[in-house]
Amino acid sequence: MEPSELVIHATGLKKSFDDKQVLNGVDLKIPRGAIVGLIGTNGAGKSTLLKCLLGLLKISNGSAKVYGEDPWDLSVATKAKLGYVPQVVKFYPWMKVQQMVDYTAAHYENWDHQTSDLMLKNFDLKSTDTVKVLSTGQQQRLGLVLAMGFHPELLILDEPAASLDPAGRRTLLRSLLEHSQNDQQTALFSTHITSDLERVASHVAILRNGVIEFFGELEDLKDSVKRLRISSDSDLPRDFTVPSALRSEIHGSTAVVSVSAADTELISRLEQHWNVQVTIEDLNLEDIFLELHDEQE
Amino acid sequence: MAIHSDQFHVNPSSGLPIYRQVMDQVRTLISSGRMQPGSMLPSTRELAAVLEVNMMTISKAYSKLEADGVVERIRGKGMRVVDRQPAVSLTARKKEVAKLLEPLLIQAQQLGLSDEQIQAIVQRILKGKR
Repeated sequence: MEPSELVIHATGLKKSFDDKQVLNGVDLKIPRGAIVGLIGTNGAGKSTLLKCLLGLLKISNGSAKVYGEDPWDLSVATKAKLGYVPQVVKFYPWMKVQQMVDYTAAHYENWDHQTSDLMLKNFDLKSTDTVKVLSTGQQQRLGLVLAMGFHPELLILDEPAASLDPAGRRTLLRSLLEHSQNDQQTALFSTHITSDLERVASHVAILRNGVIEFFGELEDLKDSVKRLRISSDSDLPRDFTVPSALRSEIHGSTAVVSVSAADTELISRLEQHWNVQVTIEDLNLEDIFLELHDEQE
Repeated sequence: MAIHSDQFHVNPSSGLPIYRQVMDQVRTLISSGRMQPGSMLPSTRELAAVLEVNMMTISKAYSKLEADGVVERIRGKGMRVVDRQPAVSLTARKKEVAKLLEPLLIQAQQLGLSDEQIQAIVQRILKGKR
């Protein structure tokens, strides 16, 4: 892939606050058109990473490029391509919803009032409501309208689904899918709700211990991480191991092993080498996330 | 004739990747005769919209089906079910069936049926099909 096709390119990105190191060398290459779900446990550094990429925090070490530019020093043209919704959205509390939209629209040359009107409607927001009376979930909805009303080329969302009810989440999902129809538009969103991610994301990035532990296509991840149920006629030997194991539990003649690189070759090698029967279990994203998390403990 | 996209459904939270779910369903629609050779698959855009999944996922399923020789890409029109489905070797087909049967047979044994009783059931079902 041409480097110019990379919308986000981070190399060894580090960020610490006082003496607390949050990001320990993040490497991330996001190609144009990807819809990337960033997952990680609470406190993994997801928000910090997003803020570093947006230039809202100064990176301590390493480098990051957004459309080839240093996030700390983005050109006006590049800033105009970015849509961002933070975890807690700040508005002018005295404005009405429509005034907030118009005020934001005035900052963008290519604001699409048709889109923002439609999104207000889909998100069930009343344009005459005053911003300060909106609930947290409604504020998050309004934040999404403001961030997407100008068809940003890069959309960055920090836990966009956190305060949304199921109906709001579905509307968000549809907006994201619409955003992704055009392969010029890229999105990066953090979440801990993995089920939302599975529909919309093309890629997934797993942040753990301040580094990106996995980045790739979601479907590839599901293809390669599997749980194996193994059984043998006699007790499994002490030195029983499985290549690429994330976690193994051995109970006498049976074992449950989660592996990160399951393929037919691995299975037949296991069956032949240890004389065991293996059944393969598919894992969804939540299962995979938990397996990876358990391995750490 | 094109198959309507409402004939497809996916479960995003399943461990089976969505593109594989779509591939399986296309194969099933063909083998059950609900999709005839020469009929068109829904466009990637349409199917992605109906299933509410990423378009890239559908493209991936279609490309793999094309690589497997199940469908062919007609320039400017989309994907068409090929006239003659690729010949799969007898060994491969037997293996496929064995994989499907195994869990059922284990269940039958757990229900306390003898090998003879299981075979009798299989033969009865096969006879009824004829």
